[in-house]
Amino acid sequence: MQNFTNETIDINELPNFEEVQLNQLQSKYFNVIAINLSLFNFFILILFFGISFFKSDLFSNRVWMIMGAFIGAMIFLSFFLAKLSFNKKGYAFRTHDAIFKEGLISETTAIIPFNRVQHVALHQGFISRKLGLASIELFTAGGSSSDLKIPGILLEDAQKIKNLVSQKINPPKKDEPIELQPNELTVTEEHE
Amino acid sequence: MNKSVDFSQPQRQSLPGILVLFANSLQKTVRALWPILLIWLVKFDSLNKLVFFAVVAGVMIFIGIISYLQYHYFTFHIDNENQEFVIQKGIINKTRITIQLHKIQQVNINQSLIQRLVGVYKLEIDTAGSDKKEASISAISHTLATILKERLINHSQQESFEIGETVIVDVVSTSFIKIRLISLVKIGFTSNYIKSLALIFVFFTTILDNLQQLNSHVIDEDKVTDYLDTLPIITFFLVVVGFFVGLILVVNLIRTILKYFDFTIQKNKHSILLSYGLLATKNKLLNPNKVQKVKLTQNFFQKKLDVLTIGVNQASSDAEIANAKDPIEVPGCSMGERDFILKLLFSQLPQKGTQYLPNWRKLALNSFFILVLPVLIFIGMNYILHFILWNDLIIYASIFTVFATIMLWFSFKNYRFFVSEDFIIKQNGAWDIDTTIIEPYKIQAIKTQQFFWQKATNIGSVTLSTAGGNIDFTTGNYSEIKELVNYWLYQLESTNKNWM
Repeated sequence: MQNFTNETIDINELPNFEEVQLNQLQSKYFNVIAINLSLFNFFILILFFGISFFKSDLFSNRVWMIMGAFIGAMIFLSFFLAKLSFNKKGYAFRTHDAIFKEGLISETTAIIPFNRVQHVALHQGFISRKLGLASIELFTAGGSSSDLKIPGILLEDAQKIKNLVSQKINPPKKDEPIELQPNELTVTEEHE
Repeated sequence: MNKSVDFSQPQRQSLPGILVLFANSLQKTVRALWPILLIWLVKFDSLNKLVFFAVVAGVMIFIGIISYLQYHYFTFHIDNENQEFVIQKGIINKTRITIQLHKIQQVNINQSLIQRLVGVYKLEIDTAGSDKKEASISAISHTLATILKERLINHSQQESFEIGETVIVDVVSTSFIKIRLISLVKIGFTSNYIKSLALIFVFFTTILDNLQQLNSHVIDEDKVTDYLDTLPIITFFLVVVGFFVGLILVVNLIRTILKYFDFTIQKNKHSILLSYGLLATKNKLLNPNKVQKVKLTQNFFQKKLDVLTIGVNQASSDAEIANAKDPIEVPGCSMGERDFILKLLFSQLPQKGTQYLPNWRKLALNSFFILVLPVLIFIGMNYILHFILWNDLIIYASIFTVFATIMLWFSFKNYRFFVSEDFIIKQNGAWDIDTTIIEPYKIQAIKTQQFFWQKATNIGSVTLSTAGGNIDFTTGNYSEIKELVNYWLYQLESTNKNWM
């Protein structure tokens, strides 16, 4: 009881989530984005050339040229925007919560306190695996809209983070009995 | 106490209960087949009477036999050896439900309309395991029901109350409120217009669809249109609008009363039990610890009549998060009842605290998307397609503008956000004003959001996720929002309060 204090909180003194220095995603991760984007663009190009080759009388040559130029410009723009949005992404793990910031047009910052995390998952896609990257996903009870997925982390870092978070949500037992936990803090799982 | 009943032997339900089972099955059948039945009624003259009555009689007899068999195969008893309550049922698919006596939390005795007519009761058993009623006996006499209840509860109490406490806890509700019929009538007249409109729409389309399939000419569409054409345009308009308004009100009233008749709220030791319904009594359990979000809804009329609706979102077990989306509703509360219920749920009355208002740009943006843009599109389309006269267009556009302006203004004026130490309250809505209440420690995740053009004006939004749905505040002062986020994070992270 003696240690108990109940001082008024100065809101300005509270740690500010905006001032946290965010970690950039691994620059290798942009390759993953670029490869995925290339595949998609390649598919669009195939489709365009296929149609223009087999149904060339659909439009005049001039219109085809303009459309081609337009699609070329769009592809260039998509890479440009992907790079910009990649640079915008950042994450941080504080003592008590995880922060992830993203978005080019609409900038969103998602924050999940560790004591609300239900479980942690580690994902690795095909290309990510080749590059030694992984993504971390934090699940809460707030439904899928509130789950947090941080991509482009080095596999070993990701495993460290996962272990850290699992420890935070399943703290090792001390001498005093821990309160009945309402949420099933399930064992963390790994997805390939 | 009447000990003569031996519950260790399998017991059947009371004999008049067959009628209840019969009525239930009949209700299900009618509900499944109502479009066909309605068409038969309309075309009654052209039907072969003999075949019709034969079919009806056949179905009745079939349902009767099914009901008897259901009755015959439904037995319940207390297994003293294993300390279990056992229900066996099923004609072809046999089901055996066993409930360990010490897990029984409460036993409820209810009566629906049909059960009231026949003079039997429904007994429901609720265990700690889930939110739903585990087992129920739908037709049992009152004396038997009370004895059984006593027996079941005594068993479970013996186990749990040997730990020192000698006080016999009154398992029967400690406090309760009943929503009066007049409140339901008030709610019925003043809410859910859109829901009822949709219902009427579905009703008519189903009927028309079925009629067309049968290729019948029961309703001569031409005749109806001809008749309406003879009336002057204003009268025609009034007749149609009056008809629909009347229909909506009546449907609303009937729906509300059927659904919520005899609404009772009981406070038990661990939970709050809601029971309601005229034809079929529904029971819902509310666990104050699991409540995540509470929404009060009231419009102008309801404010004058002193009624409002409370919707409660609970966190359900992880797999059923989707269910959390539809709330449990308490219709027709007065102010006093509202406070009573809020105290039950939060153990104190929510304080509004500091008020936060949205930026005026919210009004500007909404006006653009809801008012200016639609009008411009409408004018543009008419410019190309010429589907109505310009004079008419001006009339329609100005009616729409007046209506939309009023709605926009009120929805902006009512948009408020309150933060206190223990509560976060959002108020919004143009006509139906919603007041959504959450407790900060029940937040699961926080998301702030800002468009790049909002940076210069320092505007932004925040979304708070709970296990029972989200709550957001948009187009507010971003510095204030960030301060609040820091504060909530502090609240969340400095304590380890159970959110469920």
